[in-house]
Amino acid sequence: MRAWRNFKEGTWCESIAVADFIHLNYTPYEGGPEFLCPATQRTKDLFAVVQDLFRKEQENGGVLDIDTERVSSILTYAPGYIEKGKDIILGLQTEKPLVRAVNPFAGFRNAEQACAAYGYKISEKIREDFLYRTTHNTGVFRAYTKDMRKARHAGILTGLPDAYGRGRLIGDYRRLALYGMDFLIEQKLKDADDLGKRDMTEENIRLLEDIAKQLDFMQQLVKMADQYGCDIRRPAENAYEAVQWLYFAYLGGQKEQNGAANSIGRITTFLDIYMERDIAEDTLTESQAQELMDDLVIKLRLIRHLRTPEYNDLFAGDPVWVTCSEGGMGEDGRTMVTKNCYRMLHTLYNLGPSAEPNITILWSERLPEAFKKYCAKVSVDTDSIQYENDDRMRPEYGDDYAIACCVSAMKEGKQMQFFGARCNLPKVLLMALNGGKDEIHGTQIAPEGKVFSDGEVLNYDEVLETLKKYMAWMAKLYVNTMNIIHFMHDKYAYERLIMGFHDTIVERLMAFGVSGLSVLTDSLSAIKYAKVTPVHGENGLITDFITVGDFPKYGNDDDRVDEIAQWITEFFYSELCKTPTYRGAKHTLSVLTITSNVVYGKKTGTTPDGRKAGEPFAPGANPMHGRDKDGALASLNSVAKLDYDCCRDGISNTFSITPDALGNNEENRHTNLVSVLDGYFTQGAHHLNVNVLDREKLIAAMEDPNLYPNLTIRVSGYAVNFNKLTKDKQLEVIARTFHDKM
Amino acid sequence: MAARDGEGLRYAVFLAGCPMRCVYCHNPDTWDMANGIEYTPEELCNKIIRFKPYFKAGKGGVTFSGGEPLLQAEELLQLIELLQNHQIDCCIDTSGSVALSDTVKDVLLKSNSILLDLKFPTEESYQQYARGKLSSVIKTLEYLIANNKKVTIRTVIVPELNDNDASILEYAAILKPYKNKIHQWELLGFHTMGFMKYEALSLNNPLANKSSLPNSRLTELQRTANTVLHKL
Repeated sequence: MRAWRNFKEGTWCESIAVADFIHLNYTPYEGGPEFLCPATQRTKDLFAVVQDLFRKEQENGGVLDIDTERVSSILTYAPGYIEKGKDIILGLQTEKPLVRAVNPFAGFRNAEQACAAYGYKISEKIREDFLYRTTHNTGVFRAYTKDMRKARHAGILTGLPDAYGRGRLIGDYRRLALYGMDFLIEQKLKDADDLGKRDMTEENIRLLEDIAKQLDFMQQLVKMADQYGCDIRRPAENAYEAVQWLYFAYLGGQKEQNGAANSIGRITTFLDIYMERDIAEDTLTESQAQELMDDLVIKLRLIRHLRTPEYNDLFAGDPVWVTCSEGGMGEDGRTMVTKNCYRMLHTLYNLGPSAEPNITILWSERLPEAFKKYCAKVSVDTDSIQYENDDRMRPEYGDDYAIACCVSAMKEGKQMQFFGARCNLPKVLLMALNGGKDEIHGTQIAPEGKVFSDGEVLNYDEVLETLKKYMAWMAKLYVNTMNIIHFMHDKYAYERLIMGFHDTIVERLMAFGVSGLSVLTDSLSAIKYAKVTPVHGENGLITDFITVGDFPKYGNDDDRVDEIAQWITEFFYSELCKTPTYRGAKHTLSVLTITSNVVYGKKTGTTPDGRKAGEPFAPGANPMHGRDKDGALASLNSVAKLDYDCCRDGISNTFSITPDALGNNEENRHTNLVSVLDGYFTQGAHHLNVNVLDREKLIAAMEDPNLYPNLTIRVSGYAVNFNKLTKDKQLEVIARTFHDKM
Repeated sequence: MAARDGEGLRYAVFLAGCPMRCVYCHNPDTWDMANGIEYTPEELCNKIIRFKPYFKAGKGGVTFSGGEPLLQAEELLQLIELLQNHQIDCCIDTSGSVALSDTVKDVLLKSNSILLDLKFPTEESYQQYARGKLSSVIKTLEYLIANNKKVTIRTVIVPELNDNDASILEYAAILKPYKNKIHQWELLGFHTMGFMKYEALSLNNPLANKSSLPNSRLTELQRTANTVLHKL
């Protein structure tokens, strides 16, 4: 076959096995960035048009325009271009760049509110269509119990994907480039035949229906590509087609679904194989290879979804998490870094710093030194990338996994996730101390218990025993809530195309989350090591605490308190595992808040650690703002103690250090950052967002956004354009610890 | 931890107590030995080991600063031996003001590298601005070079005090005999970050009216220093 000329053959030729193809055909690259090329004039001209649109979008209050006449799907819109004739990689979500689509499948009211927030109205026609349709949201609320509604309302469980797409999936979009759609459809039909031989259990019937839905949308994608003049029924024959096919596959998923964080996967080394072949055949120059990546990245930076203000509160800065994972080591000991990993990073210079795609470096101590240093340079220069521990994940997921969203690892095309937002841990403590009542509204949410007495010093053991009971209650309710959500999502908003790029028999992970870990940890430390006395308010509930004496705080490499943080994650995870999940998914847990740490804080009363009612939590697994006083590395050491084995959905740590503290010149900053990353990850830590900047720069940007229009900053598993954050989120980011000493 | 004093990422240990009184001192809180927290060498070693993952072979490790670390040579020697059992690189940041007793010599010999201050170019200015002796610094330098130690000479540049080419020439003349043996001559810019400490300790800050040396000026002077020393 012409498409596979000069490729080393293997099992991948017989059945879908992209990892096998990569292993047999990729060229590891141990050199430095010297070979990289600047943006071509065409790229610069095209990107200038896009930048102008970004400006207009910002001036327009964050949304450029909404197509309210049609419902988004793969074939809804005619082909769209930035500038016809100038685009290399074709395809937009709607007919014009940055025009947002309406996608009400997961929740009609949600889509309606999102439109209203920007002064738009969904057309009567769509409204009528959806009068007779059950959305995911409707389904979920049919089944929610009273307890679930109360927990949701009080903000103990927040951010649940019950009104929009669940997201956090990574289709193996590389399959379309390597095999072409005809072959993929053939394989799905074979799977259906195999299932047809089994007994028709509920799960088997569901799988058969899943395949039928997938096939429908796979065929629609062929038509969509055809409208752009591309025949994706056959495999890609060169690097350009490989990029184009892969992007069509991803784009189709974005047209069909509005889930948060449907990521693009581990694509750069795969694409490098095609580029190397074309370069060897003299049909592609380095400049053209870079141009392909630049153009792909321009398209990825244009991905948008229509969100409600409540959603933006939780996930600030309009992120879509086109997470692109690269680097890492192969199981055979060769590095998986290729020249194309550099090209992806280099887009941050050719097109400037950016939040999207969310470039994620899979870090191994054994990565080539030159690549490590280049990554460090990119971090210092752009604050746009994040790092996750390949040496920790590879043993669990093999060497063809990727990250969805911020920190969620999964095997490409072989695992999927049921995303489950997070539970507010400090609020669970307050509920435990208040006999199961919400500390703000006084509503009885959990089973009734004793309210800890006014003016009586809290006894650590008693508090811990009570807390355990309420955490167990919470865990059970949480799993059951998630089961309803994902049952209904599968039923009413199934990801037909994206799941078409997964194996039919897919392994499912159910990803729970916690927020406020450092607040609960320090609160328990205060109760244990200092004297904490509750103060009752007029309603007979605890409204404040008097804390006498000092106590160790999480973030200073002090085992006395760090052990409490370890215990919390381990205990909560073991409690979650006690309740079975929908479709036999494996329980996982993340310590990740996105930017919801601000909203969670708003909904939570005063805590025993000294945090006042309404004040933000620290993000993810971060120590509380300003409490990690023993320097940057002591702070990292504390977070590194959290065990990935009970937090397989990721442990997010966002780390900001001033340039001066990192080193006295550029060269030293790069080598020192490499040492920091190596030192942190060899301890088994999972994730690090790196910002190298001064607080003063952010303050200046807040006062005058025009000073730094492209200022990008890692916030919590993703990056944002600082100017797109609301004032309260900007203030919270500024209040975070900026380490001015190692 | 510090990323500036010595190569790679350094765990900085500030040993309390100093015989000198440099006008530009940014750690006046370490003058008095009574201001420090007491650790046994073992305790401190255990604390430092926690940061070993961040130290790279040959780069990164511990820097003993102060105060004047050599005032506690006995304990320092024990600590260095403990750390070196764990293959941790030890660097001494010294003013060169301490007499070369056998223990002090041992400490210098055992350490992997030394940062040695050359504060002022004459005995008079040394006495006036630092209450120290140039001769003592030279003795230390000669001992280190005779024993093939890796020495970085460091000089703080203060605006209107020594931020001129003439001063640089004076320093260079002193270093001339050793220029091929020293690892590096590094100029450090005076900064006002230590001023808060003077206020907190109610100490008289002799340079209270000075501002930090601009980075651009420091870069220029460093270039001059490199050229001058090379040509001499």
